[in-house]
Amino acid sequence: MSSGSIRRGNGHNYFASSDDSKICVVMVGLPARGKSLIAGKAMRYLAWVGIPARVFNVGSYRRAGTPQPNANFFDPHNTEGEKMRRAAAEAAVSDMLQWFQSGKGVVAILDATNSTKERRRWIHERCQEANVETLYVESICDDEDLIMNNILEVKTTSPDYKGQDPEVAALDFRNRIRNYEKVYETIDDNEKHFTYVKLINVGSTVIINQIKDYLSSRLVYYIQNLHIKPRSIWLSRHGESEYNLTGKIGGDSNISERGEAYARALPGLLKKSGVPPNTKIVIWTSTLKRTIQTAHHLAAETGFEKLEWKALDELDSGVCDGLTYEQIAEKYPEDFAARDEDKYNYRYRGGESYRDVVIRLEPIIMELERSENVIIVTHQAVLRCIYAYFLNTPQEQSPWMEVPLHTLIKLTPRAYGTDEQRFKADIPAVSTWRAKGTSAKHQEYPTEIKA
Amino acid sequence: MDTLLTADIVANSPRFRRKSSTFVDAIHDLPEKADLAPAQLYSTESGRLFHSGRIVIITVGLPARGKTHMSVALARYLRWLGVKTRIFHLGDYRRATIPYGQDIPDDYFFVNASASSVLLRQKIVKRCREDIYHFLNHENGQIAIYDAVNPIASGRRSLAKEFSKHDIETLFIESWCDDERIIEENVRRVKISSPDYVGWSSEDAVKHYLTRIAARIPQFQTMEETDLNYIKMINAGERLIVNNKSFGYLSNRIVFYLLNLHIKSRHTYFARAGVSLEAGSYKADASLSEQGEEYAKKMTECLLQHREAERQAMADQGEKDYELKPLTVWTSTRRRTVETAKYLHEKGYKVRQRSQMSQLNPGVCEMMSEQKIRQEYPDEVAKHDLDPYHHRYPRAESYHDLAVRLEPIILELEREQNDLLIIAHESVLRVLYGYLMACNAADIPFLEFPRDEIIEIIPESYQNEARRIHIPGLPKEIIPGSPEDIKIPVPPSGMMTPLAGGLGSPKEGLATPQSGLRTPREPERISQQHVEDVV
Repeated sequence: MSSGSIRRGNGHNYFASSDDSKICVVMVGLPARGKSLIAGKAMRYLAWVGIPARVFNVGSYRRAGTPQPNANFFDPHNTEGEKMRRAAAEAAVSDMLQWFQSGKGVVAILDATNSTKERRRWIHERCQEANVETLYVESICDDEDLIMNNILEVKTTSPDYKGQDPEVAALDFRNRIRNYEKVYETIDDNEKHFTYVKLINVGSTVIINQIKDYLSSRLVYYIQNLHIKPRSIWLSRHGESEYNLTGKIGGDSNISERGEAYARALPGLLKKSGVPPNTKIVIWTSTLKRTIQTAHHLAAETGFEKLEWKALDELDSGVCDGLTYEQIAEKYPEDFAARDEDKYNYRYRGGESYRDVVIRLEPIIMELERSENVIIVTHQAVLRCIYAYFLNTPQEQSPWMEVPLHTLIKLTPRAYGTDEQRFKADIPAVSTWRAKGTSAKHQEYPTEIKA
Repeated sequence: MDTLLTADIVANSPRFRRKSSTFVDAIHDLPEKADLAPAQLYSTESGRLFHSGRIVIITVGLPARGKTHMSVALARYLRWLGVKTRIFHLGDYRRATIPYGQDIPDDYFFVNASASSVLLRQKIVKRCREDIYHFLNHENGQIAIYDAVNPIASGRRSLAKEFSKHDIETLFIESWCDDERIIEENVRRVKISSPDYVGWSSEDAVKHYLTRIAARIPQFQTMEETDLNYIKMINAGERLIVNNKSFGYLSNRIVFYLLNLHIKSRHTYFARAGVSLEAGSYKADASLSEQGEEYAKKMTECLLQHREAERQAMADQGEKDYELKPLTVWTSTRRRTVETAKYLHEKGYKVRQRSQMSQLNPGVCEMMSEQKIRQEYPDEVAKHDLDPYHHRYPRAESYHDLAVRLEPIILELEREQNDLLIIAHESVLRVLYGYLMACNAADIPFLEFPRDEIIEIIPESYQNEARRIHIPGLPKEIIPGSPEDIKIPVPPSGMMTPLAGGLGSPKEGLATPQSGLRTPREPERISQQHVEDVV
């Protein structure tokens, strides 16, 4: 059968087309209330599901004119400071609306204190003129310890205080917050026509008002699932499988002898990666034999709870299932070329694309955000997608990423990003990585890229 | 009058009370076997989700605030997720406890009620609570929805305390309204259809009903108890206030669902995709055949004619400015579904492709005859016969897997305000229909959608109704179920409980599509002849 339209990925993504609405998420809250954390995570999540999203941080606009202001700059009676801050907000909003107008944007996140009603009304009006919906996300916190932690951890490393004594910086920052407090107006009933979410003390009380579209509800659900407890997520592929040895893709084969050796080594490898005492970890696998076998000893030795998720099954390669790359190149040359050209969007005949996998993994990500320590034993393509979420890897790169067999990846989410460590088990395995344009079996990932 | 009718049935059949408020997933009737009973998303032996405990959802709110609508919708969603859920209407227990023909004491809901009323109240609540314990402790129940007015803060606190003694979490959901229009609309739609109000103008009936409520329940304290887990739904979802003391997985899920729930009514249509060139192959993802094209054209014409007739009928009934809701079309990303929507697209209707709506993956069974499957996978066939909803053939998806994959679609379905035509493979239609019509999971694999019918689902206040629209002039050979289905014979009829008559049976001509080989279980009662007994 001819492959008339090779590019099966239709380039359509279901989220963005959901109602063609453009949304400006307007953060609201005093400094050190975790606004930037929420903004950053929401952006990463949206980008990962394929919704063009961008954060517009008013602070960085203001910094262009006033790199290191002291607290007095933020005094509402300081007219000069007020003027400059207003100018920064205007510049950020203008850039944001331009970005929407260019057709590239679907969700913008305006990260600033936006602490007065007047400011919020002004943003609403600007957005309305440009046909952009607003969603206000207010973070309120009256837990002094939480605030102080946030100040010490994050703000003293802020560019505003670069090179200053951290204690002086923290004190100045506390004063800056006081200045904001003088004029701060929380979202109240006078603004009940706005779509807003109010998060009080990291979500212990949440008020959700006038949600009008599915995308907003999804965002609110996502934000509600976020927590700030320290934890790690471990990712591993299954041990080397019989199919890996012959270079076949897909299937549901058993693990090889070396794969079994990896399965036995996994509990030790996990320990080596650093697990705080008394940590409970949940094991997630796919429903395919090779991941279940790989986690077998780990579950038996640790007694950790184990879940099998259908959503963690390997990317379905449709008609190509059970073939080697060489055979695919021979049997479906056009498909093979098309996949290389746009690996993220290419959908195997009767199978899936990376984009499809991301969509089916979305509930898994939601669940991961809610969970604490989790070790996931899954497959190459799925692992690439999960990894891309945490490390914010662009779509063009993630399908080509090297994830060697018999290697444990430890991810530890931090306030502004994710730390990554890799632990190699000393058990040989074939390479399953394949460079663009080749069909070679067991190709090595080029060392110069590694370096 | 329906209050009496229900009371009568309750009095004469002690089991009815339980049944009328039952949302039991049929899967739990099957022999329990750890290797074939995956609950939602992953498998556990008890059939409960392990990362969520047992929860009682306690409704709070005056009559006509949409409590029951919300309870029923929530039960539908949770059950569909695979969470064993049952609704307990306190009103049913009241009616069963108070002797036939007697009304409740006038001070029944008063804070300073007489001693005898307080005793009666306690007795009724105790009976209901015992049933809840039984369901959660001995029937693997995970969520019990306790549907009552619960107007007073102190009463709610003691309920939470009582349940926590039994290691059961509580989540209060309050329906609160200050928009008179919503309340009046609710009263009009669900409260005054009783024979009590025959001959009344609807305006007078509404006024009368509300006055009686106010007299019966003079005190109502909205929830402000920060020590309890609660969700306050204001004006049918306009605003949600979430007081999260210790929300788990399911409670967060419920918030998300409630965010998408609305009370506007719109129609959903289901149509099959046309016949494709390589109809037997799942992997081929072939284009429509000539017959398929013809079908697409006829289906489009038929649907548009039907909608026009509906509009005309409304206009004839005197609704002068009646306008149809705009129609949106959803297809999967499989070629034949997209191509089936071609004519609608050409006519300017909005068509959206959804990758989650791809058909059930048949795995190793693709293009295999039934005989061959039996030969090669006798063990799998045996397992499949035991639980066709949850069993998956090697490399295949089960219906349950499909349902999990379709969850975002379900939420968007709830959210959608336009009329919606869904063009998809039969397996997808089965699951979506199963959600909207609250079918037993075990029946879902056997629902049939012949190609010469468009199914129209019309929401009513407590229930959805399905209608079939016949597409005339289609060749016989394209009508039956999809050839790429896994051809495993269904269990012989007679093994299942026959459809019960009376309240549960569907209306004439509105039957659930079903294969003739098998008698369906009694469909779940989404519709209950349930009335608040305060009037």
